Amino acid sequence: MKIVVCIKQVPVTGAEKRYTDDLRLDRAGVEAIINPLDEYAIEQALRLVDSGAADSVTYLSMGPEQAAEALRRALAMGGDDAVLVTDPALAGADEWATALVLAAALDKLAPDVALMGMASDDARGSLVPGAVAAKRGLPLLSYGAELTLVEGAARIRRLSATGFDWIEAPLPVVATVTDQVGEPRYASLKGIMGAKRKTLESWSLADLGIDPASLRGAALTRVTDSRPPEQKPPTERIENMAAAEAATRIADWLAARKLI
Amino acid sequence: MANDVLFLAEFAGGRAARSALELATGSAELAAAAGGQAVGLAYGAGAAAGAAALGAQGAARVIVLGGDDRPAITYAAALAAAVREADALALLAPATPNGRDLAAALVGLLDLPAFGPVRAARVADGTVETEQATLQGSVITTARPAEGADTPSIILVLPNTFTPTEGAAGSAEVIQAADAGDSPFGHAKVVESHQADARVANLDEATVIVAGGRGVGSEAGFGILRELAGVLGGAVGASRAAADAGWIAYQLQIGQTGKVVKPQLYLGAGISGAIQHRVGMQTAEHVVAINRDPDAPIGEFADLFVVGDLFQIVPALTEEIRRRKA
Repeated sequence: MKIVVCIKQVPVTGAEKRYTDDLRLDRAGVEAIINPLDEYAIEQALRLVDSGAADSVTYLSMGPEQAAEALRRALAMGGDDAVLVTDPALAGADEWATALVLAAALDKLAPDVALMGMASDDARGSLVPGAVAAKRGLPLLSYGAELTLVEGAARIRRLSATGFDWIEAPLPVVATVTDQVGEPRYASLKGIMGAKRKTLESWSLADLGIDPASLRGAALTRVTDSRPPEQKPPTERIENMAAAEAATRIADWLAARKLI
Repeated sequence: MANDVLFLAEFAGGRAARSALELATGSAELAAAAGGQAVGLAYGAGAAAGAAALGAQGAARVIVLGGDDRPAITYAAALAAAVREADALALLAPATPNGRDLAAALVGLLDLPAFGPVRAARVADGTVETEQATLQGSVITTARPAEGADTPSIILVLPNTFTPTEGAAGSAEVIQAADAGDSPFGHAKVVESHQADARVANLDEATVIVAGGRGVGSEAGFGILRELAGVLGGAVGASRAAADAGWIAYQLQIGQTGKVVKPQLYLGAGISGAIQHRVGMQTAEHVVAINRDPDAPIGEFADLFVVGDLFQIVPALTEEIRRRKA
């Protein structure tokens, strides 16, 4: 039973970020981390190995050469080996291009479960997992609060409108998990040292048999403008006021905006 | 030329989700600008019976993909076939887990450009233009399909981006989708279903949300928030801290890993406003915060920030609003 966890390197949460002149995210000079929500996918995969339900964990990332750092950090948490897909033709890749490339790499790795985080910190579409499943012709099990493996199938526990469901699909599958799978483990010193000896391969588009021309500039979308958000009027503050008086002021404020 | 605008119309429990009404209205607006029609793609329990009524929000036609209460992703193949057939300019999908799953399947199956979640969409120069808050809200980007990209553009839309048309009459033509046959997406099935709490509100439907965080302190503490939500005609939500503490159902969690909401009024009590919560509510029209800590981050982006004890102020506010409504 083989799991591949797809991870993305992102700028640290809350970092000062900006777009370059050609309207791409400027990633230079910003501290980079494993997308925090991907750490839950790593944790889920490692728990399945700990319990004996899975045999191996491989990490897969697509990004610039620096993204190897994120893969090393993942390997320090546990797992067996890692693959970085990196190619100059992938700069500025959108979700469609990312899915196409990850799907090709996953075809080569052929895991039983391709596992991903529920969203990335820096782009919030959550479209890559479903598009990867479509490209690979596999079922999608998404937003699992827990992932389990049963005979020939994977199951997720997923929130429903008023409770939760267990949803099952036959292997192989593409799956995503939420932050409810349990807190990600820290890398131990032994893990960090051990990670240096684990195999980290680098694949180009040519290694995947993808003709760069077929990626159509790596994006089907283009950003035409970026600007700071509208300046809101400054926050009105109510301080040092008795509760009844504060309540009257809040009610007046709501009434002035026709909210009550 | 592709002029029609498609929208996903989710049904559950026998009726249309609020997102279906919002997106029908939005599609009708965009389609009017493009010189085409709004066409719904309906699925879920109640879809067949309720499809025609989406005409009231401006849908000219509704294609019913299926009326079963099964995982939404299992409709992906039928959806892709209908979209391929439609020759439309854009497809609006709700920025919910189900909406995202179906949108993602379309991107992968049909190689289509995708946007979102967006806070605005319009027709410009014969194509669609979208507006999105990215990088945790620090940048607003405008985007269009790349030159030569296929249509329709897939657009994830935040709740309350469009206001549903109300009180209008209209009946959409209802078409049963062709059977798409077997597909890998169809292999996911519900094997167990647990009803935890039937009283859990759907935050996607709420135009007023009263949210509580760590400062609410207990499950019982949410009682006063429910009363305030009651007089405001709204729903109760929570931060991850409150959901993790078990004070409230995870269905009511707002934030990066919960719901992304865009109500007319968001009132947060005992919520500090960490970035993970902020990304779930920052597009609310009006933000009011009540917090004991004068330096809480939420005080930096709220429209009205009340420094004080929520256990005194919230009941007093409930009483005041009740008095004014009497």
